[in-house]
Amino acid sequence: MESKTLKPILAVYVAAFILFLYGPFIVLGILSFQQGPEGGPQFPIIEWSTYWYKHLFGLTPPSRIAPLPVGEALLRSLTLAFMTMVTATVLGVMAAQAFRRRFRGAGIVFYLIVLGMMVPGVLTGLGTSLLANNVVGIERHWWTTAFVTHVVYTFPFAFLVMLAILNRFDGSVEEAAWSLGVSPARTFRKVTFPLIFPGVLSAMLFAFTLSFDEFPRTLFASGRDQTLPLAIYGTFSVEIHPNIFAFGVMTTLFSFALLTVYGILMGLSVRRAKKIAMQEDIS
Amino acid sequence: MSTGSPSTQRNTFTGWLLAPGVFWMILFLVAPIMMIVYVSFWTQTTFAINSTLTLDSWKNFFSSEAYVGALWTTLRLWLIVLALTFIIGYPAALFVGLLVKSKTVSTILLVLCVIPFWTSFLIRVLAWRPMLGKEGAINIILQKLGLIDSPIEVLLFSELSVIIGMTQIYVVFMVGPIAFMLGRIDRNIIEAARDLGAGFGRIFWKIIFPLSLPGVVVGAIFVSVMVLGEFATSGALSGRKVNLLGNIIVTQVGSLKWAMASVVGVILTILLGIVVAGFLRIVDLKNEL
Amino acid sequence: MAKNESIFRLENITRRFGALTALDNISFDAPRNEYISLLGPSGSGKTSLLRVVAGFEKPDTGRIHFMGRDITDLPAHKRGIGFVFQNFALFPHLTVFENIAFGLRNGTDDVTDAEINSRAQDMVELVGLEGLEDRVPDQISGGQKQRVALARTLIMQPKLVLLDEPLGALDANLRGRMQTELRQIRERLDVTFLHVTGSETESLAMGDTVAVLDRGRIIQSGTPEQIHDTPSSPDVALFLNRFNLFDGRLSAQSFQGPFGTVPVSYVCQNPKDVYAVRYDRTKAFRKGDALPGPALPARFLASEYLGSSIISFFETADHKQVEVDHHLSFGDPDDYNVGEEYILSWDPRHAIVFGSEVAA
Repeated sequence: MESKTLKPILAVYVAAFILFLYGPFIVLGILSFQQGPEGGPQFPIIEWSTYWYKHLFGLTPPSRIAPLPVGEALLRSLTLAFMTMVTATVLGVMAAQAFRRRFRGAGIVFYLIVLGMMVPGVLTGLGTSLLANNVVGIERHWWTTAFVTHVVYTFPFAFLVMLAILNRFDGSVEEAAWSLGVSPARTFRKVTFPLIFPGVLSAMLFAFTLSFDEFPRTLFASGRDQTLPLAIYGTFSVEIHPNIFAFGVMTTLFSFALLTVYGILMGLSVRRAKKIAMQEDIS
Repeated sequence: MSTGSPSTQRNTFTGWLLAPGVFWMILFLVAPIMMIVYVSFWTQTTFAINSTLTLDSWKNFFSSEAYVGALWTTLRLWLIVLALTFIIGYPAALFVGLLVKSKTVSTILLVLCVIPFWTSFLIRVLAWRPMLGKEGAINIILQKLGLIDSPIEVLLFSELSVIIGMTQIYVVFMVGPIAFMLGRIDRNIIEAARDLGAGFGRIFWKIIFPLSLPGVVVGAIFVSVMVLGEFATSGALSGRKVNLLGNIIVTQVGSLKWAMASVVGVILTILLGIVVAGFLRIVDLKNEL
Repeated sequence: MAKNESIFRLENITRRFGALTALDNISFDAPRNEYISLLGPSGSGKTSLLRVVAGFEKPDTGRIHFMGRDITDLPAHKRGIGFVFQNFALFPHLTVFENIAFGLRNGTDDVTDAEINSRAQDMVELVGLEGLEDRVPDQISGGQKQRVALARTLIMQPKLVLLDEPLGALDANLRGRMQTELRQIRERLDVTFLHVTGSETESLAMGDTVAVLDRGRIIQSGTPEQIHDTPSSPDVALFLNRFNLFDGRLSAQSFQGPFGTVPVSYVCQNPKDVYAVRYDRTKAFRKGDALPGPALPARFLASEYLGSSIISFFETADHKQVEVDHHLSFGDPDDYNVGEEYILSWDPRHAIVFGSEVAA
């Protein structure tokens, strides 16, 4: 059988493929332990050290290499990602909820929303800046113009996640609640929302990470205060140092922390409802 | 008759659920794109634009070799990266989506592919520099292995480095949808074909590939949309040698040439429209997903 | 409580889905404190009817009255009508106890926690779920889910409970037991059950009143005996799955069918001429036996034991299948040889004749 030989060959191929995906990252991880401040962002490693990590937190004596301007940028990025996450998830849940009923123009509305993730960031960023400058006449800020473009980008993801969840959702439990005299609003709170909560968490995770890492839209639309990706982009044109690699490792660890929190919340949400019910029983 | 009112009520409710999202998209997505089209006909003075309509910026674009060249570079890189993500991604998707029997293993492999996305996009791009540079990891390894005598310089700050970088960053968007479609194939069909004596090649071309085509199209749309709107990878890995339409927009905005940036924006929009519409003609996604 | 007092009334209810008419001008008066079963084949609109009464869907035209009030424009949660779903639709994130207490806890009425808990506990006992209060729906059996669904509804003390094929998801064994239980539970409370089903046995066994639904219309309603003994149309007779139906021609005082021409005494008005004889009124005779009525030659195909009776299948010359139901309390069944020809006959007084021409 041909597939008998095909499978091991492809297994090796997939291993190489994953190495291809991770290769640069491994190199980056290694070089983040380069000696400092003289060691450059290339091989060979002169001497292993955690200099660049200390440099990142301002724990090294001043040198000619300026520390990355990450402190305030990080705070801004986190705030922006949080604002975006809340707005995009609320909009996504509402729109997906509306899509459970058939209505005229559903196709157009669907594509209008999905367009938000399809249009490249350069275009939405540019267009929003033009509108802000020439029509509305406001200054661009990360919490105004950049924020709205971030929501344009992440709302479709939240919408699609919720749509997939609600497609599999059995509406008869809601009808059952209504027939027990429970109002639609309370039914949503007590039945629908707890049941779709894992989906809501995924939508939030999507919106947060996409916004946190968003770059092209922010570049045009955020005005003078930099977000984290903009701070990193700023280092592109100048000479790069291993501190940016150390920073990359740190952000990855942060992402994993975020993922872990998500995983824990996910696990809890499954058990939470049961526990609450049991506690109410005891009381 | 008053029986119509409750259903009108429900429609009103649906309307209220949709209104915020729809208004958001019209105000902050449709209006900005309209604005780009509009501004592309504005008059550009040295540091400002005014709303006197003119075709000057359009004429400038098409008479400039650099700008038209950027259009061709964008098209060329897009086609190359699209082809590479497909060629490199398909076998991986085939293994993950179809050949791996255990659902757990296949999920783990997919998660492995997605993990790098939790590292900042810009840092992932930047990570290619120590990889491809003259004293980079690849040159060192190749020299150690004795495959080359002197380092290959064309690896970094060239079109090649941009292609390698983009392929690595976007290939997962091709693998995901294809693996998803392959995972949905009923294994019994393949078994049945095998019982009828069909070889793997025949089964692949007659059954597997056609069934995975919607995944290929979705992947191709993802990759195309992202590559066509790119500017950061080319900026970081080509040393400004490769200019895509996106790069032109960035530099024009940087020098406050909003009208020219808008012209390029309109061209990019049209290009994207044609590409996405073309892909959607191959496979009607509404029926497939 | 007076029986036969109306609990809900449908007036000219019509519901269309595009070109499809699910409910076609239905009018129906439901007596209070009764078990009403609504029999209809799939696609007859029976689920649509329940959903319209419950308020999940709106009729295109017509009015619904419940306990003397017009509730047509009232949303589902303000109607006070219980609903038991075919798939039970239990709240998967809540325990059995909290499922049952859900309506009281989240309703608009102010009920103290103590009262909620005591009423829920009463319900648990009523449906016999003691000891399972802390399980979640995934951890209990189909029959138990059924009881939770019922208890959850009954705790709200509705005057009307709609049951959408409530036994459909249970296995045959359990179905029989739940039939009795449902009737017993209902009799203990002052409540009307409207039970929708596609099973003629279930509807006849359970209903105090049976209504037959076909293509969005109620074509007959009455006691199970009335429906069973005097179906008002060939369609009803067909759904009951207890009648051999023969096409033929009705003229003046006789019916001309595959069994020859038989005299007819009573005819039900119907656009098509049909002759109906119940399975258990049809008997098989050997050639030469004395016959009680018309003679229909047919070959024996097979027979099937159904516990207390045996059904034999015959085939006539024009390939029509005829069934003979022999109740074992009337003595041992005859042995028939497969492929051999017998004569089927019946007492013509037991036949029901439908026709456009009403006999004198």
